[in-house]
Amino acid sequence: MAAGERIPGTPRYRHHLLKNPGTEPFLPNFLLKEWIAGSVFLLGFILWVVFNPMDVGPKANPDDTSFIPVPDWYFYFLYQILKYFPGNYEVFGTVVLPLVGALLLLFAPWLDVSKARHPYKRPLATASMVLVTFLCIWLTNEAAVQHRAEVAAEQGGGVSAGLPVLPKVPASQIHLVDTTMPGYEIFSHTCAGCHGASGEGGFGPPVYAIGKYWNEQQLYDFVIKGMGQMPPRGGLSSDAEVRKVVEWLAKQKG
Amino acid sequence: MLKKAYDWIDERLNVTPLWRDVADHEVPAHVNPAIKMSAFVYCFGGLTFLVITTQILSGMFLAMYYTPDITNAWYSVKYITDEVLLGNVVRGMHFWGASLVIIMMFLHMLRVFFTGAYKAPRELNWVVGVLLFFVVLGFGFTGYLLPWDQKAYWATAVGSQLAGTVPWIGPYLQTLLLGSHTVGALTLTRFFAIHVFFLPAALLVLLALHFIMIRAQHIAGPL
Repeated sequence: MAAGERIPGTPRYRHHLLKNPGTEPFLPNFLLKEWIAGSVFLLGFILWVVFNPMDVGPKANPDDTSFIPVPDWYFYFLYQILKYFPGNYEVFGTVVLPLVGALLLLFAPWLDVSKARHPYKRPLATASMVLVTFLCIWLTNEAAVQHRAEVAAEQGGGVSAGLPVLPKVPASQIHLVDTTMPGYEIFSHTCAGCHGASGEGGFGPPVYAIGKYWNEQQLYDFVIKGMGQMPPRGGLSSDAEVRKVVEWLAKQKG
Repeated sequence: MLKKAYDWIDERLNVTPLWRDVADHEVPAHVNPAIKMSAFVYCFGGLTFLVITTQILSGMFLAMYYTPDITNAWYSVKYITDEVLLGNVVRGMHFWGASLVIIMMFLHMLRVFFTGAYKAPRELNWVVGVLLFFVVLGFGFTGYLLPWDQKAYWATAVGSQLAGTVPWIGPYLQTLLLGSHTVGALTLTRFFAIHVFFLPAALLVLLALHFIMIRAQHIAGPL
């Protein structure tokens, strides 16, 4: 909307009486326009939330020391710095660098005291901030890449590519859905022998949330062929039975 | 009727000058994206506040179902996620919103830095802004533990070990943080209290200072 154009229903204000031409009153003129930007922003946010549903990881288990710890992504840059100061130098990563960084940021107005405000007119301040920003982004990315590699190395042993690997969780934390379907009936009589009554895994791998990774057709193709210790058709007598089981399995999304 | 009610209150409390002061406040042209599109960079601060507002609201609703003890915390989060009406959306708002606050806040800080808006006489508002940034990181650190899942538990375990490596005060700091010698029941209640009582109080005070100062000193002029 062009400057000063009136939104219908808002009070008229006298442009020629404004002390500074080009300004507009905060309420309602400016806020109504701002609210449009805010609404678009909120809409995008809500769409993101709705299309990225939350799930809950396995319950905290102090005995399971094999879990690879990692902070939330916005602490990655701090977490990554630690890796460059092993052993006796650890204190540089945990205290010295973060403290120096925090103090520099806090006292920036007294470090950059020139009157000039344009970023080109104070190259040292601008260059430092650009450098710090890129360093933070790089450290964050580096930590993410290294963490993914660690997790892959942990889970990768002996599993062929493309096969979904579900984390092992106790059966009490698994909530199977649509257990009235015929597929569940067949599952609990046959497949459950190796994969557990709740699909928590046993002799065979866990399958309780396999539907999150594979659709019905992918599951069907896999079960029909079988793999390793799992016989073709998973030991079921007919393809139709397999079809019923995978139809139910595909709905288990954890 | 509405007008009469307003006049009745206004006669007694004289509220008109309070909101007229905000309403008539002139927004300069160089920060108004409706006049110059590139002024959208001046929206980052306001959008940070908008996301913080949604964080407070979604957090209030999550607190209706969340139970801060180690036997029930995980189950209450599972219940919110899987059973409660719109629970997944509210928890999703709080989870993704946490990241969004950090991102918007970082962008806002870059805008203020690169336009040199922190220079005299606005040094104190920059300091308050940096303190707000630390408070928000505190929210992130304490909030991460609350679902009491493996991720949360081990991240906090490592985080507290790091606090323990600080020279001299390390062990005391670790005990202060955990409430005990290891991550457990006391840590969860402690983090919960910090997350929903201590930090919000600090946040609201600092935000008020931030806004009062910007009104008192005005937005920095055009570059």
